[in-house]
Formats: sequence, structure tokens, C-alpha cells
Amino acid sequence: MIEANGLSKVYGARAVVDGVTFSVGKGEILGFLGPNGAGKTTTMRILTGFVPPTRGTARVAGFDVLRDPIEVKRRIGYLPEHPPLYREMLVRPYLNFVATIRGVPRRDIKSRVDRAIERCGLGQVAGRLIGLLSKGYQQRVGLAQAILHEPEVLILDEPTVGLDPSQIRDIRALIKGFAGDHTVILSTHILAEVTMTCTRVLIINEGRIAAQDSLEALAARGEKTRRIALRLARPTDAVEPRLRGLPGVLAVTRDPGGDGAWLVESDGARDVREEIAALAVGQGWGLLEMRPLTLSLEEIFIRIIRGEAA
Amino acid sequence: MRNTLAIAWREVRTYFTSPLAYVVIGVFLLISGYIFWASLVRFSQLCLSYGNNPYYMNLLNVNDMVIRPLFGTMGIFLLLMIPAVSMRVLAEERKSGTAELLFTCPLTTAQVVLGKFLGAAFLLLAMIGGTMTFPAIILSKANPDLKPTLVGYLGILLMGLAFLGIGVLISAMTENQIVAAVGAFGAFLMFMVINWAAEAVSSVTLSGLFNKLSLGLWEKAGLGLGGPSLGDLLNQISITEHSKDFYKGVLDTRHIVYYLSVIFMSLFLTQRVIESQKWR
Repeated sequence: MIEANGLSKVYGARAVVDGVTFSVGKGEILGFLGPNGAGKTTTMRILTGFVPPTRGTARVAGFDVLRDPIEVKRRIGYLPEHPPLYREMLVRPYLNFVATIRGVPRRDIKSRVDRAIERCGLGQVAGRLIGLLSKGYQQRVGLAQAILHEPEVLILDEPTVGLDPSQIRDIRALIKGFAGDHTVILSTHILAEVTMTCTRVLIINEGRIAAQDSLEALAARGEKTRRIALRLARPTDAVEPRLRGLPGVLAVTRDPGGDGAWLVESDGARDVREEIAALAVGQGWGLLEMRPLTLSLEEIFIRIIRGEAA
Repeated sequence: MRNTLAIAWREVRTYFTSPLAYVVIGVFLLISGYIFWASLVRFSQLCLSYGNNPYYMNLLNVNDMVIRPLFGTMGIFLLLMIPAVSMRVLAEERKSGTAELLFTCPLTTAQVVLGKFLGAAFLLLAMIGGTMTFPAIILSKANPDLKPTLVGYLGILLMGLAFLGIGVLISAMTENQIVAAVGAFGAFLMFMVINWAAEAVSSVTLSGLFNKLSLGLWEKAGLGLGGPSLGDLLNQISITEHSKDFYKGVLDTRHIVYYLSVIFMSLFLTQRVIESQKWR
């Protein structure tokens, strides 16, 4: 649905985006992750045709953003970082206006606007002045204007900024509901957001793609070794040597803090959990708990941004 | 066309839901109304004093003495008021981020520029239309010549639109509204006073100028040294020179073509400016 090939944007001598290549399939939700100033917004602006790339090409639904900008824009719904609102307008007339210039046929405008108002929970404020709405409602109006023409591709630049937790949950549900038939790209620097909504993550740093993977793969790649936390009800002195004797186990340490807690490190290529369980049951150690320890997304993110081999 | 009108209509709504339209139209009508009243009173006093004298009575003409000066003052007021309207046209969209909406919608830059211009033109029309009550007042008590009055209105409207076009162009160049207003004001004044030097340079012909610039090649090529002078050119550029005939009631297509060219050129340049900004 979206193909970016070697996209670069140079302002003066500074490359804000530098050779970014990725593609997004239909129905995917891609999360753009990166620190502030990493080039997320610029990449999105290139995809929407607001800013032309210095080098490289981008295609949306088969149309080149430079050669067929109108065709591309017809298929995109876009919520910029600062919602593009006319503060002196009422919510409904504003949405009517956007529907018109987005090319919604005249007879469909009312139903589309009604639907967008309902989906974004704007029913109560439809007759109010945009400039007087709270930040959260303004953000929702911004989202409503992006989805009201049912675009094939939805590009959202930090859609949940400024919302309270329950609104964030609503918006995430809305975005998830939107995927499937539609393709969504959203940028954020909130990692939890990516975990909850996205199917795939693209980490951008200093204009370059630092990592690009599915969430599980990204989580797994943090480690060359697996670590397993173990808790036993009746540990004996034999625990340590017996565990160490299992093939693939590299180290076994007793957790000094917890009673009967152990930490087992094993080769990353080998899952030894089953063997450990069998051993513990066979020896009557009383297996209470066994869980794999993975790096949190935060840790992976910071490692990738710092350029450490993850 | 639908997109252009949608943008124009939104623009008009904004003017009339904010104090802008009311202040601009109100102030404009108040001051031109005062000038109209003053010249009307003066005219009726002259009529009272000299009404018995057939020689003077023939010189007293309501068109020449009330309506025509009104056009002149309205022209000056437009020069002062239009920057207040034009300054926000594109600068505000960029400042508030709504430009990002317009330029990521399936619209061409030309549609956006034309829509914005038409919206502002509607406000101008309302301003000038409001002053039509003045000739209507005269009409109720006297017999002014209607045709020159209408021609004068056409002239004022064209001049206002030309100012507006230039103002929109300058508004596209900056996101600072003060800069846009001062820039537009300066450009209008320059367009007004540019022919003040016309007298002084009336002896310099354009062909002579080209001859000097091309180190004599112009003359050698047999292109001649006669023709229009630099002063003629300055007179032709001046925006007020072209309005004088309209105020007299003379409809000359040259002037209409002049104003339409200024409007077209400034809107065309606005479109180019916006397009080029994307690449920076």
C-alpha cells in the first residue's frame, strides 16, 4: 500500500530524513517510533505530499507522491502533529468543509460527517466553537477530519498527545478498528502505544531507520541468551548442579533476594524450559513459578537508539 | 470549482463570524459616509448661494462635485484598509497549521489561492457595495448621471481587487501578519506614487535606455531611438493613473485590461511562491 524508497529530505546542510526505505501492506498498523527530531514528522509529510522529498520516491496505493499528488491525497487521511483546526468555526461546519475539499460527494457529506462525529465521540460538542474545546476534544476533531472520507491510508502524527487515559483508550480502539480494510501509520514516542496498537514497528533515529520488525521479533532480538526466573518450594543442594547439567544451560545463580528463587541463563537458540520443568517435577522440588525474562520494549528502544548491537 | 468555492465560502464565514468584517466594513462606511456628507452639505450650500445665477448654476454638477471626489477618497481608504484584510489571507493558514490541511487535501495550489482571493474579494464587494447608498441618497433628491457613477464603481472595484491580489501575494511570502500588512501597504503606496517621477524622466526614451544598456548595439541594429519615454512607462504602471478615467465616467478597455493583468499576475505569482516554498 505504501512504498518508500530511499527517501531523503535535506534542509540546508542538514539531512532530516536520510535514505529511509520501508513498505506497509494493506491492513497493517505501522508504528513510527523515535525520539523527538528523529524525522518522523518529515517522513509523514513526504508521504502525504505536503513536503516533497529531496531524493527518493514514495508511492501510495501505486501512485507516486510527486507525479500524482492529487491521486495520493485522495486516498490519505492525515492528522498532523498540531491538528489543523479553524478555531473560529463550529465543529460540524468545519467537518462539512473538510469533507467537501476532501472530495466527498455532496449527497454523502451529511452521513459521513455524522459517522465521524459518532466514531470520535463528538456528539456533545458538534455545535460548539472549536477554539473553546479542550485539547482532548480538539485532538478528536482532528482525528474526525482525518477519517471522515474513509481513506485507504490513515497517517496519524502523535494521535494521543494531550488526551486523558480513558480518551487514549478510546482512540486506540478506534485506530485498531480502522485497520483491517485500511492501512495505518502512526508516530509516537510512547512505547506502550506501539505495544497496544501496532502490528509492526519502525524505529527512526537521526533520519535513518534504526530497526524495522514485528513487535515479537523486536522483543526477542534484545538477547543472545535467554534468562529464566525460577521459584521452587523445596530447593535442595542438588538444584544448582543438576540444572547446570542440562544441555544448553550456561549459568545458574541463586537469587539472593528471594527464598528459593533461581536465575537460569541458557543459550538463546535453545529453549530449556521444558527440561527444567520435567527435572523439577521429577526431583520433587515443588515448581512454583517459571517465567522467561525479556528485555522491556523501553530497554530495547534505548539500546537501538544508542546504536548498541541489540 | 467546487473546491475553490468551498474555500472561498469558508473564508467569508470566518470574516463574518469574527469582528474583522464588521470592523473593516464599519470603519470604511463611517469615514466615507462622513466625507460624502461633508461634500453634499457643501454642494447644497453652493446651490443655495448661487442658485439664482444661471452662469454659476451651469457649473454646479452633483456628479462632479459630490460623487467623483467620493471615489477618490474611497480609493485612498482602500489603500489603508485592504492590508488589514489581505495580511491574514495566507499568512494565517501557515501560522495556525491549517495550511497543512489544505495542502494535503486533493486540491491544487491554484484552487486554494483562487478560493482565498474570492473570499476576500467578497468582503471588498460588501465594503464597496455599502457605499452605494450614497448615490441612492442623491438619487432621491436630485438627478445625478447614473452611468458615470456605475463606471466609477467599476473602477473602484477593479482597483480594490488589484490591491487585494498584491496583498495576497505578499501574504503568501510570510507567516508574520504584521510583515504581510506593512509589505502590502508599502507595495500599494509605491504603485500609487511611482508616476510622481514621470515628469522628471519624460525626456528619457525607453529605446534610448536600451541603447545605453546594450552599448550602442540597439541603435546599430536599426531599432530607432524614438518611441515612449520612461515617464510614459511609469504612468502606465501607476495604479491610480488608471483609475482617473473611471472616476470621470470614461470606460476605457485599456484600464480594464491593466487591472485584470495586475490581478492575474499577482495570483499567478502567489501560486508560484507557494509551490516554491515546498521545496525549501
